[in-house]
Amino acid sequence: MIQFDLLRLGKATRISIADDVRTDLELDKIVAVASNGDKLIAETWMNVLLLGETSEEDVRYRQDAVKDALAHRETVLKMYSISGDVLDRLRREIFFFRTDDPAVVVHEASRGIEIFADALEELITLLRSTPRFSSKAFSDLMESLFANIDEKFISSAREVAKIFSFDQGIDFSVKLGKYNSLIDPILLMPKEKGSLLSKIFSVGKEYTYKLDPRDEAGAQILYDIERWVLSQVASTILKAYNHIKEFFEELRRQLSFYVGAMNLNDFFDKLGLPRTYAEFEQGRFSFENLYCLSLSISRSGKTVPYSLEIQKDGAFAVLISGANRGGKTTFIKAVGQALLLARSGLFVPAESFYIPNPGAVYTHFLREEERTLSYGKFEEEVKRFRGFVGSLKKGDFVIMDESFSTTNQLEASVVAENVVSALIDSGISVFYVTFLQDFIYKFVTHYGDKIVLLVPERLEDGTRTYRLMRGSLQPGYAMDLWKKLHNSG
Amino acid sequence: MEYESLLGKRGRRASDQVIWDLRISELLTDILGKEKDEYLGALYLEQLDEKDAAVFRLNVFQDMLRKEVYDEVVKFVEKIRECMRILELEKEAYEQHKPGLHLDAALEYIEALESFHEKLSSVKIGSEGLKHFLAYLNSIIESETFRSMKERAYEAKAAREKIKVRVKIIGDKIKVWSYDDGEDLASFIEALFARFKGSGQVEEVKYHRTAGEMSHIHAAILEGAFGFFKEEYNILRKFSEDFPSIIDEGVRNFSKEAEFYISYVKFMRRIEEKGYPFVIPRFTTDGSIKVKGFYSPLLAKIGKAIPNDIETDGEKRIFTITGMNGGGKTTFSISFGQLSYLSKLGVPVPASEAMLPFFSSIMTAFPIEEDKGEELSRLEHDVVRAWNILKSANDSSLVITNELFSTTTSEEGFQLAELFLGELNKKRAYCLYVTFIPKVASLSYVISLVAMPSREEPLRPSYKILPGSPPAEYMAIRIAAKYQLVYEKLKGMLG
Repeated sequence: MIQFDLLRLGKATRISIADDVRTDLELDKIVAVASNGDKLIAETWMNVLLLGETSEEDVRYRQDAVKDALAHRETVLKMYSISGDVLDRLRREIFFFRTDDPAVVVHEASRGIEIFADALEELITLLRSTPRFSSKAFSDLMESLFANIDEKFISSAREVAKIFSFDQGIDFSVKLGKYNSLIDPILLMPKEKGSLLSKIFSVGKEYTYKLDPRDEAGAQILYDIERWVLSQVASTILKAYNHIKEFFEELRRQLSFYVGAMNLNDFFDKLGLPRTYAEFEQGRFSFENLYCLSLSISRSGKTVPYSLEIQKDGAFAVLISGANRGGKTTFIKAVGQALLLARSGLFVPAESFYIPNPGAVYTHFLREEERTLSYGKFEEEVKRFRGFVGSLKKGDFVIMDESFSTTNQLEASVVAENVVSALIDSGISVFYVTFLQDFIYKFVTHYGDKIVLLVPERLEDGTRTYRLMRGSLQPGYAMDLWKKLHNSG
Repeated sequence: MEYESLLGKRGRRASDQVIWDLRISELLTDILGKEKDEYLGALYLEQLDEKDAAVFRLNVFQDMLRKEVYDEVVKFVEKIRECMRILELEKEAYEQHKPGLHLDAALEYIEALESFHEKLSSVKIGSEGLKHFLAYLNSIIESETFRSMKERAYEAKAAREKIKVRVKIIGDKIKVWSYDDGEDLASFIEALFARFKGSGQVEEVKYHRTAGEMSHIHAAILEGAFGFFKEEYNILRKFSEDFPSIIDEGVRNFSKEAEFYISYVKFMRRIEEKGYPFVIPRFTTDGSIKVKGFYSPLLAKIGKAIPNDIETDGEKRIFTITGMNGGGKTTFSISFGQLSYLSKLGVPVPASEAMLPFFSSIMTAFPIEEDKGEELSRLEHDVVRAWNILKSANDSSLVITNELFSTTTSEEGFQLAELFLGELNKKRAYCLYVTFIPKVASLSYVISLVAMPSREEPLRPSYKILPGSPPAEYMAIRIAAKYQLVYEKLKGMLG
């Protein structure tokens, strides 16, 4: 049996809040570059980027395959186009205009099988002339194809197509059942004309009935019997047709991920973005010169890169606070996008990228507009958060942008503290852009070095750099100021 | 052995008035479906005259309510019907098909009788009706005719199974050979393409045959086949000749009469699925009524019935039903009427507990549309009906009236009611008297029932009809509710 798995997605589906993550992290921009207008690539990319569950091993498997595809660019592109062409031909030439008419099904399916035979022949010829792949993903595909598709198979397939393509009549065996009706029809391989066997038959006993030319009802019944007999084989041949079609669809779908990778690779080249593959290291979350890919795409150029180094076993929280328009949201988007690219097995726009594990990414961003007016905004927010809590697992990442800021600071801080503490204590790391001072203060005090506080950098003269730097709590600062002012007064 | 009817004694047709007022036709549509079987339809309109006749049927139901019995009876009836259908087909069929049809009718029949007899003998049967039929079946199965029919049928079947031919259809020609050998094309294709895994989704090509399976063309193929299998054909043909008639007349009657029970059990199951019970009624002889949780099956099928109780020790037999409008008074009285009607058919009734007299007759007086062309006005009509009822009422009659004497002043309405009910009371008849005149409920010999409002929302009915005095005033509650000064709302506001 032909088996291949270029993506190793297993049974995992998109994460529960795929649409939110897609919007919040501006995935459409990235997918548009990768797909270059190809809908299939876009769909595959979305599926892989938003994958709910994956393992380190699977990520490495895909990383190898991406590298391999970039190295065998022409072959991969050609396979992609062969599978595309065959599906196009089916769309143009094969019409199951009546799926309840076995004669139509058998006829169309057998013509389809002829088309498949041509494409399989082309595919095998291409792969025979290609240098060996190095990744397990592509080597396995090639091996499986060679083991299953050969000249003998292709000629047998053409033979089957031929039996049904000419009006040779039908041969079948039949038994008698209830009411003396005909039962258990079995369509038989036609006996070859002029063969010894067929001669013996014609010499031996034979009962012949010829339809009266005026017997229209009889012709209808004969038509019915023929279809009835064919219906016994129609599902089988349709199944064969569908399975081969599915093979090409599946092949094309899986390849589309790698064609997308080539497109994105070209874009990185154009912009001069750095390229690295994620590495896994326990207790380390760090990157160097990480770019926000969606912003680079919008700007058609490089933007301000970020670096971060966290060495800490278990979950952590990165709180980003400080002046507006300081690049805070861009930072968490860059991190989110990089995590998604990394766990997909793709290259990341950074000099280096270390993560402890390929956890899933969930987002909770403040919405400019709330969808319904019947509930308070805060309730809406809480509901939205609650919506994905059930799917979170240890090792996942939650990226929050001004969550819980639709109520007063005092209340919101309590909620934020409750939520974020629970996440960290459950092994889920958090990136959180927030202005909730009560929360930040209490939280940093309580969790200490599990927390990284980042603030926008400002130069001495007050200019913004859009970089983020480690900040620290300044407890009592306001009191001091008050006292100072009081005293000065 | 003679066959004895599964229905026991028959009854008399109920009056059109009662059928109309108690919405028996609607009930029958629910029981029998829109295309009512004529025979069963007529049966359901017959009211039994004797308590014993009702008990005879209720005993059959007692058996039929056990799944193991019911399932077997249903299967048996279906098989006998199938057998009859095949024999009908045979009459019109081509010669080559006839012996086949006849054989299959016989096989169906043999299997039906034997398996029903075996299954039913292994469970304990309590009712005379079914016990008798079982003995009757036994006498058939033990008979020499049946035994030899069975033996020959199996022989014929084995002969038919030997027939297998190869057919080729090309253009307008059919060729038939005795089958020798050949490669199965479907298996070949299956094996060849098995290397493509597919998603496991199977798209079945479902061909709906456009012609029947018996025609001159099929007959021609059979003719060809019989030419190669002469001996087998003769065995088939001889079977038909030697056993021309198959179904016993008593079996035929049983399968028809069993439908009465089957249709009703099916109806019960549909209602029970909605969470409403049925019970086998017990007939009291001391004049008492104790019916608990009875309800309207018409509302129960949409899950909206509210069960109610009705009870008397037999001393007081007149019930007045008063209370809020739209509070379920009419539904209450119709439901009890239907329950009583059903008890007189000898079938289980829609309630959780039912002890009531075997009413000698059920009489109704519901409002009619006023017909200006008619000589009698509605009020006069009411009086005439009341008098007709009084004429035939006795101590085991059930009278159900709905807003009788309502087209006059309430004082006059009360006086008429007092006269009517006084007479009924003297005759010791049972009566459900639905009225909006609260004063009627104060008569000394009546039991007063009241349609109660919902406790949570006093503007809405609870559809509970409970013993008690009619309320003096509803308006005060309504006004209070308008200002939200009611239990639930107050609690919410204060909570």
